[in-house]
Amino acid sequence: MSDPTMDQLVKTLLDGDQAGALTEARKLRDAGVGCERIVTEGIMELLDAKCTVEQFNLLEIMLSGRAVMGVIKELYPPADPPPRTKGSVVVGAMEGDVHDLGKNILKAVLAARRYRVVDCGKDCAVETIIDTAERETALAVSVSGLITSVIPQVRLLRDRMTERRMGHVKLLAGGAALKQASAASLNVDFVADTAFDALHYLDRITGGES
Amino acid sequence: MNSIERVTAALSFEKPDRVPVIAQVFGHAAVLAGVSLSDYVRDGELLARCQIEALNRYGYDAVFALMDTSVETEAAGSLLSYQRDRYPFVASYALKDAAGLEGLSAPDPQKAGRMPELLKAARTLRREVGDDVLVVGCVLGPLTVATQLLGAESALYLAIDHPERFALLLDIAAEISIRFGTAQIEAGVHLPVVFDPSASPAVIPPQFFREFELPRLLKVFTALKGAGAAANWLHIAGPAAPILPLYPQAGVDIANFDYCVSPSEAQAALPRTCLDGNIKPLSFVEATPEMIADESAELLSQFDHRGGFILSSGCEIPPEARPENVAAMVSAARRRG
Repeated sequence: MSDPTMDQLVKTLLDGDQAGALTEARKLRDAGVGCERIVTEGIMELLDAKCTVEQFNLLEIMLSGRAVMGVIKELYPPADPPPRTKGSVVVGAMEGDVHDLGKNILKAVLAARRYRVVDCGKDCAVETIIDTAERETALAVSVSGLITSVIPQVRLLRDRMTERRMGHVKLLAGGAALKQASAASLNVDFVADTAFDALHYLDRITGGES
Repeated sequence: MNSIERVTAALSFEKPDRVPVIAQVFGHAAVLAGVSLSDYVRDGELLARCQIEALNRYGYDAVFALMDTSVETEAAGSLLSYQRDRYPFVASYALKDAAGLEGLSAPDPQKAGRMPELLKAARTLRREVGDDVLVVGCVLGPLTVATQLLGAESALYLAIDHPERFALLLDIAAEISIRFGTAQIEAGVHLPVVFDPSASPAVIPPQFFREFELPRLLKVFTALKGAGAAANWLHIAGPAAPILPLYPQAGVDIANFDYCVSPSEAQAALPRTCLDGNIKPLSFVEATPEMIADESAELLSQFDHRGGFILSSGCEIPPEARPENVAAMVSAARRRG
């Protein structure tokens, strides 16, 4: 990426400067740069930069996430959704857990990378998550938990989904409580340490392709 | 030595008769007693009874007059949702937005929400154990109070979009911590632990901690010490390594470190501060007593020559923990001597 104006967009996104990012995105669009290119080059550059920092913190990711979502809304208003996505991912905080900040971050990161994210919200029953995954033909389900008492519910997901012929749907888990456990013990495919970790895993299984 | 003498020795890096062991048993005490969490966190006498029963069962060195992370915000006007076997959570925040800040003041701990019940628990626990066992109260740190008053997302965006308003929110939050903590000391706790999960580097960058939180923590700890706290104990879970070196500037005497910070990192960051930690909380649910015993022994070995250590979990021992695992940690400290 050598376009200086794209550099500016990436800088504003990295700074979490939503107003600046919107200005830069509009400049690019007005200069004839396609929306898809703005997203793939500008936003993905940001994500790659964020992925390589050693220390993650919610505040910086929230700010970049807010700026990214602002740009995406500007480029793709609800009436004009992006032409292609990499597939649907269902996210939710398990029943008994009302902490959803981490889930919301994951939502922003995945949407920025052109996954279609279906949010089941917080305090979410196992069956609700599975019903949603079935209805949306999800490629993956990502559940979060900040308290250890949700772990037994997480362990149910795989068998319940297999019973409903959804064994192919990848299962991810994250959040302060769930990331203390291994994927094997949670009966899921992957335990993500951070939202970017989850993104990398999904990109690997989709081959990074649209 | 009794528990207080043991902890005092660890604080001053003297050799105790054995390393003190403080299991962070909060709601687990309710589960042991067959009491619902929602009753436990609303009834000070009941909380104290469960804590004493757990103390008698395990024989560790501290009891906790501690309910949950929503006591302060409820007292300030948030509405909570209570369900039988869960800690309560905020259903509606005290502040809808930062415009309401001017109308907010530190609630009266003798009257507001569940604060009087927590003070009752403190009085009962101190009456029961006297100066043999450490009675620990709990206040949230300023940043965590702030995120509980306004919601984490809104509070953090406020910090960036309107830093002067956020600073005002933090100042009010610090007053809430001070007033509640002082009342707990007057009610009989030897010290209130300052629990500040929102200040973790997992949530905010270290420079944000230094600029916004550190001065308020210093103010809180200075006030608590002035009110008679035996020591200043700061508990910030998660990957706290980058901010540990700043703790002495806030007057911290005991620093909790979670499982994701290694003992050597914590020791290097805080060479003259008593440390407590750091067995992974989930291990108390999932591991075997033998595994907990081994991990405890390893930790004790790593602090053998240094001293200044309290064997503990990295954060709360989950309510659903296996009792034999808690017992295994306590036994490990007793066995080592």
